[in-house]
Amino acid sequence: MISARLSTRFFTHWRKVFVPILLSLVVLVSACSQSEPSQFAKTQEETSKRNAPAAVAKGAEQGSTFNKFFPDSVSGYEVVPAQEKNGFAEYKVNKGGKNVAVLSINDTVGNPTAATKFQSSTATIAGYPTVEQGTTGTAVLVNNRYQVKVLSRDPAFSKADRAAWIQKINLRGLAKLPAATSSLPKVQAPKAQVPKTAPALPGKLQPALNPT
Amino acid sequence: MSDKAIYDHVDHLPTGGMTVMALKSLDWVIPGQWQNLVGFEKTITAVTGETDPALIKQIGDRAVTLYNDKHEGYQRALWLYQTVDAASGALGAAALANKVGQDISFLGILKNLTPKPEKAQSIDLCVKLVVELVAFCQINGIPGDSIGDFLSALKDYGGESLMRMAALVCFDGLIPLGPDFASKGLSVIKGMSPSDLEHNQTFKGVRELIPGGNSAGQLGFITESFESTKGWMDNFVSSKALTPDRVVDNLSKFVDISKDKLDYLGAFLDMYVKYYQHTGIQTLAHRLIERSVAEI
Repeated sequence: MISARLSTRFFTHWRKVFVPILLSLVVLVSACSQSEPSQFAKTQEETSKRNAPAAVAKGAEQGSTFNKFFPDSVSGYEVVPAQEKNGFAEYKVNKGGKNVAVLSINDTVGNPTAATKFQSSTATIAGYPTVEQGTTGTAVLVNNRYQVKVLSRDPAFSKADRAAWIQKINLRGLAKLPAATSSLPKVQAPKAQVPKTAPALPGKLQPALNPT
Repeated sequence: MSDKAIYDHVDHLPTGGMTVMALKSLDWVIPGQWQNLVGFEKTITAVTGETDPALIKQIGDRAVTLYNDKHEGYQRALWLYQTVDAASGALGAAALANKVGQDISFLGILKNLTPKPEKAQSIDLCVKLVVELVAFCQINGIPGDSIGDFLSALKDYGGESLMRMAALVCFDGLIPLGPDFASKGLSVIKGMSPSDLEHNQTFKGVRELIPGGNSAGQLGFITESFESTKGWMDNFVSSKALTPDRVVDNLSKFVDISKDKLDYLGAFLDMYVKYYQHTGIQTLAHRLIERSVAEI
């Protein structure tokens, strides 16, 4: 009898504690289950509405224009075409059948933030302003307009490898394409800095010494 | 074409169910090549190796922008992947109806309204292969009829793209048509008239994006594409010692199928396994992200 009364009191006591906790949990779980809007929702709204600006500006160079500036395969590395889109071309660098890096050229016309990041550049590769992006990317800007980028796809493909492969791309040839005509402030190769010396190139292409 | 955001497509890919199980059952064919990568931000990190939230945001924003521009071809590619799955599912329903028609005399009339399963499956296989080619061109920006470029790229296929081709060979080739599916498919398509093609459900679904101008030209393009890719498929089968039995044995470890009703398996897979759409979204996200990280 006593034990039954005790257990009833125990149950009543814990019910007083548990019910509010349980109710709070239910409220919390239902609040969390309403999914947060994606961090890309604003961009989605802006770029999917009628008359949204084109993703690539009309005057951008065709990706096919860039093909001739990419290097051929070299000993131990196979260079394979991957994408050729409006204002963009991309090649894969494979070693032993495994993708180790990606080479790309894109026209920054209509995508100005890609070019303006070079304004804070403090170094050059082959005379062109260069930036590091994240932990896998090295880029240079040619003619204040064409971004040339090498992205590592394998940890063994180092920052120095990226700088070397950027110079295997015919930057001097690329610089003969039309320069930027936008009102963006021109990105100058930093002069106060001693130009970074990139590793010597075994390939046929030599770095541009006097980029224009 | 859908106005759904690319991140919605990638975030809502299934993590289980028939399609995922069926694809997992093919891991022995291309070991370790396919993981079911789900989630847009997770895909950005997997493709680029970057984890910095600000960089992920920049890459994602660019990918969303590129996808939403209809001139860039990504939405057309997704439409192709989705439509060919939906249309071949309808073909599965027709094939099953035909089967029922053979078993039950009351429904015998149905067999006059639906193509013979083998012919229908052969067309399905050929059209799906051409969809892969056209979607590849749309995504990678290569002119839409570049069979040569596609063949070169096929040698370099990996990950979810190679899984899609493995599923095509196994689920749309070996299971419904047997070990000599490629020769069988080619002989069927070569013996067809443009009007046979016009009546095919799968072709009707995607015909507006198949190069060739009219049905005769499209039949020519499909035949040429299939003939050119036959060598790759034959080599894929022989190098991996693929047989219908081995495919079915592995599939039965993941999906509850009855081995005494294998006649129904091809139609069943057509209706319930949407592997083109599933791996197509993964391929599309992969390529978009590759381009975006390069362009920002």
